[in-house]
Amino acid sequence: MPLHEFECSKVIPERKQHAVIKGKGETLADALPQGYLNTIPGSISERGCAYCGAKHVIGTPMKDVIHISHGPVGCTYDTWQTKRYISDNDNFQLKYTYATDVKEKHIVFGAEKLLKQNILEAFKAFPQIKRMTIYQTCATALIGDDINAIAAEVMEELPEVDIFVCNSPGFAGPSQSGGHHKINIAWINQKVGTVEPEITSDYVMNYVGEYNIQGDQEVMTDYFKRMGIQVLSTFTGNGSYDGLRAMHKAQLNVLECARSAEYIANELRVRYDIPRLDIDGFGFKPLADSLRKIGMFFGIEDRAKAIIDEEIARWQPELDWYKERLMGKKVCLWPGGSKLWHWAHCIEEEMGLRVVSVYTKFGHQGDMEKGIARVQEGTLAIDDPNELEGLEALEMLKPDIIFTGKRPGEVAKKVRVPYLNAHAYHNGPYKGFEGWVRFARDIYNAIYSPIHQLSGVDITKDDAPVWNTGFSTSRMLSDSVLSDEVRNSTTLRQYSGGFDSVTKLREREYPTFERKAS
Amino acid sequence: MSCEVKEKGRVGTINPIFTCQPAGAQFVSIGIKDCIGIVHGGQGCVMFVRLIFSQHYKESFELASSSLHEDGAVFGACGRVEEAVDVLLARYPHVKVIPIITTCSTEIIGDDVDGVIRKLKDELLAEKYPDREVHLIAMHTPSFVGSMISGYDVAVRDVVKHFAKRTTPSEKINLLTGWVNPGDVKELKHLLKEMDIQANVLFEIESFDSPVMPDGSAVSHGNTTIEDLIDTGNAQATFALNRYEGTKAAEYLEKKFKIPAVIGPTPIGIRNTDTFLQNLRKVTGKPIPESLSRERGVAIDALTDLTHMFLADKRVAIYGAADLVIGLAEFCLDLEMKPVLLLLGDDNSKYVDDARIKAIQENVDFDMEIITNADFWELENRIKNEGLELDLILGHSKGRFISIDYNIPMLRVGFPTYDRAGLYRYPTVGYGGAIWLAEQMANLLFADMEHKKNKEWLLNVW
Repeated sequence: MPLHEFECSKVIPERKQHAVIKGKGETLADALPQGYLNTIPGSISERGCAYCGAKHVIGTPMKDVIHISHGPVGCTYDTWQTKRYISDNDNFQLKYTYATDVKEKHIVFGAEKLLKQNILEAFKAFPQIKRMTIYQTCATALIGDDINAIAAEVMEELPEVDIFVCNSPGFAGPSQSGGHHKINIAWINQKVGTVEPEITSDYVMNYVGEYNIQGDQEVMTDYFKRMGIQVLSTFTGNGSYDGLRAMHKAQLNVLECARSAEYIANELRVRYDIPRLDIDGFGFKPLADSLRKIGMFFGIEDRAKAIIDEEIARWQPELDWYKERLMGKKVCLWPGGSKLWHWAHCIEEEMGLRVVSVYTKFGHQGDMEKGIARVQEGTLAIDDPNELEGLEALEMLKPDIIFTGKRPGEVAKKVRVPYLNAHAYHNGPYKGFEGWVRFARDIYNAIYSPIHQLSGVDITKDDAPVWNTGFSTSRMLSDSVLSDEVRNSTTLRQYSGGFDSVTKLREREYPTFERKAS
Repeated sequence: MSCEVKEKGRVGTINPIFTCQPAGAQFVSIGIKDCIGIVHGGQGCVMFVRLIFSQHYKESFELASSSLHEDGAVFGACGRVEEAVDVLLARYPHVKVIPIITTCSTEIIGDDVDGVIRKLKDELLAEKYPDREVHLIAMHTPSFVGSMISGYDVAVRDVVKHFAKRTTPSEKINLLTGWVNPGDVKELKHLLKEMDIQANVLFEIESFDSPVMPDGSAVSHGNTTIEDLIDTGNAQATFALNRYEGTKAAEYLEKKFKIPAVIGPTPIGIRNTDTFLQNLRKVTGKPIPESLSRERGVAIDALTDLTHMFLADKRVAIYGAADLVIGLAEFCLDLEMKPVLLLLGDDNSKYVDDARIKAIQENVDFDMEIITNADFWELENRIKNEGLELDLILGHSKGRFISIDYNIPMLRVGFPTYDRAGLYRYPTVGYGGAIWLAEQMANLLFADMEHKKNKEWLLNVW
């Protein structure tokens, strides 16, 4: 077994089962670390809780909803304005968050009455919103408030409103992943099948496991709409509550993040016979394959091909400009769950990067299986990493860049490793053909930042470099090792899109395709 | 003309101004050298607080979790604390101080944290770490009581209570800064230095603003040492600058060691800084030097350039921590501005009797409201539905969309201010803070005049 023991974790031997280095000729059976087990207390793990997995990751990207957390104020405050899931209704769900503000007296005497008052107050403050989600927290789970009963009571009194309840307290599982599961199942049990949608196309799908980070969902649905497909709902980024109640009427579930949303896709298959098609919006080839597969399913491959051809012709020269300059650069791919396998192979193939480590905070063994299958020999894979292991790995691997979260990114900054935000992105979106170029652009900008060049200099040393010019540019740093042919290429070019690549999509007009005779 | 103090009318919270108590205790924990706190509760209680610290300071701070899972919630989770302490000590050899910070979940299930600490001392520490100095400190901060502010107050007291000892009484003072920024601590230490006064500073967080060094060695952490904390018992007086963020500790020291407590004022603005310096003189007998008179003069000069020409009569809403909000409101009044709405983000029953609030009530000559237990909807609803007109908002970044959506300039001040660069580096206290605040407010109003083409030509000559 190619288990990797960190020096810093020798005192907690069970950690040895959570890291592997993929060895020569080894199969997955040899190289699979333990995953999704209880966290070791005091290890300074990076994991979140099941409440945030349910509410923050999956619930709140739903855009036309009052999102109330039933508990003390902190859970609400802490998960508010810490992600970038935008929406096309002026970001209502980013701007407004609600807490029932449970206090000591409610802990003693119960908080159900308080919850009901809260619901009524919130609908009164936002009379245009008629939909609500309520999230249980540790405190209200432990005192045993019957949130479902209160929601039912209000729905009876106010027939125009609809309320969804998610019982996923913070302690429910080893990480945020427990919350993903709970809200998936709660949604299909409570809400799917309660709205009958208007069908406007011969091709109808749900887009599942997509959270519209910096506009990802809008980029992807743009392709689907150009193919003449009706996207009944998105679970949940930029998704509408009533759209998601109508998921049962789709012909196909297109699944993006299998870690957080495969549960509902699987249930839709079992209960409504809707097939699940796993796709990937990251990377030219995976994305092209995905659009082609969707086209094949509906028998409209030609429409997919037309889009793929157009997009690749537009963006390939720009992606390749970066690929030439990112060749061989070492990456620690340290996201939360599924991006380790969404990104691992295609950043190597399409950007020339070399993945030297993958980790997952809340992924399961299945995610590691896919991730490790897609990386090269010698790659270090870590499950539920902790602060010291991360630092030890950075010291050992000396990567050129790290893709991780905001706070670990600050740790990387101190040891002078450039960081990109793997969860919320730097200047995304990163999905779609253009998005993938934006990602490559951000990686390039991070690695070849002149400031990064300066940060390694010890000015107290006599042999500190002497600058020949009063500045440097990224190009001066990246192009010195390139061949003349690449450097002077007239076909390759840098990213030519704008700061905002998403808003314009909202104004776009789509072709109408003739419906088949029914 | 009246100033009413009232509690928010609704029971719920729409867009909270504060987070909960454990966050305050965690902020105290990162201010202490060789200290890593363990938050006893679900992992989100730590992960998100670390995130918000990193958003505000653009730095990472170390805090651990006992990682409460379902089994612990059902059967009790004291064992998780024992394991967490052991794992932490084994892997972080420099750690000497471990606050055990409770949360709503572990307070409800009734875990006996004090009992666990006794047990750990008798067993784990005695057997496995006999030669190591380790301090385990229980901090009871259930999330359903108070707010991050009271959590801070409780935690400062718990730390002081644990360490303070009377050995050799000294001329030093204790300076409890309250929940402030590195820029504030720097300014306060500067004032003390000019006065030639030595202090135990709780907490030395100037070092939060840490560098990137060529060898990658720098980390951000607080620098208040165990020696400083022990020495709080020897001081000749305690200055708790923020009434709601340190008074409990000051009162403890007064009661236990008869160290006089000087509570407040939050030294925001010229007048409150004057009072602070005069209090220092009174207690220590040291004169206020000419150098500070000169600094004061520079500040007065800067303010004179701005007040009656640009700041007079500007209507301001201020939200956040009570001491900050009151201090800012007092300063605004000195600057001829009209703080028409103050929003205090929790339900502390002492606010209504605060002498500073009483004084405002007795003296303002315009209509003003002070809302306790406030949320952001108290502000937004007044603007959106009740015709409140404002020229300026002062508060932290969580209120940013009110400023954006209603086109009202907003000076980011307090915690957190993640949507503006580097604000933690600048003081709001002292004469330096007075200059910074007034000039930032003025520049924001100038940019707003230009943006809205509202008498932007006024600045052609100035």
